[in-house]
Amino acid sequence: MRALRRPGRAGRRSLALAAAALLTALVTAACSGTSPVGGSSGGSGGSSSSKSLNGNATGTVTVWYRSGFAPLFKQLAKNFNASHKNLKVNVVPVADADYITKLATAIRAGTEPDLTSLDDVDSEIFISKNEFLNLTSEVNALSYKDKLSPGALKLATSNGKYYGVPDFADMSVLWYNKTLFSQAGLNPSQPPATFAQIKADATKIRALGGSTYGFSFAGDCPGCLTFTLMPNVYAGGDDVLSGQPGHEKATVAGNKSLQATLQLYQELWKSKLVPANDQTQNGTTWGKDFQAGHIGMLPGGYGAAASAPAKMLSQFAIAPLPGPNGGYSTYDGGANFGIPAGAKNPAGAWEFVKYALSLPAQQLTPVGGVEPIRSDAVTASFKAKYPMVAQIVGYLPHGQAPYTVAHDALFNLVSQPWQEMFNTAVYNGNVAKALTQGQSGFTSVLNDLQS
Amino acid sequence: MAAKNITKPGRLGFALTVPSLVLVLALVILPLIYAVYISMTNFPLVGAYHFVGLTNYTALAHNSQFLHAILLTVAYTAIVTGPIFIIGYGLAMLTRSNRRGSTVFRTLFFLPYIVGLTVESFIFYVELQPNSGAVNFALKEVGLTNGATAWLVHTIPGMTAICLLVIWFGSGLTMVLLLGGMQGIPRELYEAAYIDGASRWRAELRVTLPLLRQSIALSLILSVIGSFLAFNQFQILTQGGPGTSTTPIVLWIYQVAFEQGLIGKATAGAMLLVVVVAIISAGQFLLLRDRDARAS
Repeated sequence: MRALRRPGRAGRRSLALAAAALLTALVTAACSGTSPVGGSSGGSGGSSSSKSLNGNATGTVTVWYRSGFAPLFKQLAKNFNASHKNLKVNVVPVADADYITKLATAIRAGTEPDLTSLDDVDSEIFISKNEFLNLTSEVNALSYKDKLSPGALKLATSNGKYYGVPDFADMSVLWYNKTLFSQAGLNPSQPPATFAQIKADATKIRALGGSTYGFSFAGDCPGCLTFTLMPNVYAGGDDVLSGQPGHEKATVAGNKSLQATLQLYQELWKSKLVPANDQTQNGTTWGKDFQAGHIGMLPGGYGAAASAPAKMLSQFAIAPLPGPNGGYSTYDGGANFGIPAGAKNPAGAWEFVKYALSLPAQQLTPVGGVEPIRSDAVTASFKAKYPMVAQIVGYLPHGQAPYTVAHDALFNLVSQPWQEMFNTAVYNGNVAKALTQGQSGFTSVLNDLQS
Repeated sequence: MAAKNITKPGRLGFALTVPSLVLVLALVILPLIYAVYISMTNFPLVGAYHFVGLTNYTALAHNSQFLHAILLTVAYTAIVTGPIFIIGYGLAMLTRSNRRGSTVFRTLFFLPYIVGLTVESFIFYVELQPNSGAVNFALKEVGLTNGATAWLVHTIPGMTAICLLVIWFGSGLTMVLLLGGMQGIPRELYEAAYIDGASRWRAELRVTLPLLRQSIALSLILSVIGSFLAFNQFQILTQGGPGTSTTPIVLWIYQVAFEQGLIGKATAGAMLLVVVVAIISAGQFLLLRDRDARAS
């Protein structure tokens, strides 16, 4: 048997020609692709909807939502489909951690959903790239527009136009254990309203001894720390960013409220008023120790403790997150709706948005451990059923959240500036160095993303 | 004429390789070329992009986080490769005979590799927790610590945990690779060596090691490439923190691409990694070449 020979000259030439042709095609395709597939029509701050979305929508509308909110969206879909004959909704859960990447990939591939319910602080990532429809006229036409969370609506705004609309709220508050307050000789109807009071109350509760601690936080979860610390900064009248999205600057160095907040957490940690394993709490079991009745105070969302057994829940109360010397704020977390520019059924999407913002639908939000985005959703019957949620909705006008195109890069990574700053300040005990480090880290990330 | 040509052995051989060539071209070469192009753009997660030439590459040369990630990856590779090989070799020596129970031990030693790095990373994560993990519990019981040490949020303890985990994980694979080579060595060679007066260790050095050259090269190359591409254990145990102190190169690429949304910049980093891994693979090719076959 003869050995197989290498391709002859003609064969090699054919191979080379084929490869060259493929390469040429590839490079041509690549070089001509200077804008994304399924992209937008341009203009500043987002795409314009060419006609009103308030038409007679039919067909199917596909809605993506963060998988953590499955109970809420499944219920909404069930109710919507039961009440709409010619328009059906298909709600698709997408893992929280991959949501932005998957949505961006789908938009590039031209396979985007008709509607997306995304973390409201990530809205600007898409709005700044013209990927969402301009909904200004539709939002302005909503009779309850002035009842929507102003902070969440701001996150869907660019140059005075709306490229999205708030979906639901997920705000941060200070949970406290009334029983432990009483046992420590504190007045359970007087939660702390300043940093000094937080520390004093935590000290008295820790004095109860054993496994009882005054305070707890998710110390290795940058997103959780943003959610719970930024309101302290906002309440003090400061922010860590300035400027419009895409033209932001870091305002970490010299930030008095941030400095006081980091100082408070450092003192709580150093004085062992918080459990040692808070340092490695990455959010997976956040709030469980509070739900078990071992913790005096826990900054967190409604969902952090609302799932506690009824008997335990009756011992809990909530208060707003204070600033260093008073005042209060809340983190305007939650979700915003956006209709991708390439949506195949934008009218259907808007129909679902209107349904999700209706009072009956909004009053379902506690099912998902979150709150209504409309202040007028708090009716007497709703308040009787969900008194704590009603209380939280009252904080809506004081809500705020980072208005940025770089939220995840700045705040959501253990290896990025926000967590690094917290570690240096709290665990290493150097607040001054932490602020310098934070300013440098924020500036570096912003330079990268805004260049 | 065409039918005649195709029957020639050379052309037939070439024709038979065409499906594989097409697959390699479509699934490896073209995506790689496209990745090179992306690395020369400011490709964001969403939105328009344009060609920026070598800007991403020159920026990487001055990017302290990227340079730190490279150094960390090299250091990590240097730290774990030796122990993985030595322990793997030791385990192979222990289990190479077909004595009673050898199979059980081989299975036990190989089990960490079968279970998988992701699952084991989660096990380490749980057992290293302060106050609740087994490690802290044991250390507290013997009076060495108060049981509240947060091992994974500090650089040195975090890296130590990752290295120990990977050595435990990787030694089993090295054992299996070397075991295959050891069992292929003819028994007569050892008998001849012993007749010539060689001790057990001398036979190991003069007979086993030289004949295991290809298996050793393969295990080392797999180990080094695996270390260069390390991701799961870092993502689960330390997430690259504190700060960026335990961020290896692949985790850096992932974070820049999917957390910061800078696909062009991340792809430039990935292309440099591809070059490094390609060089290692070329080294593998050279080491694995059979000298005897070439000589004949």
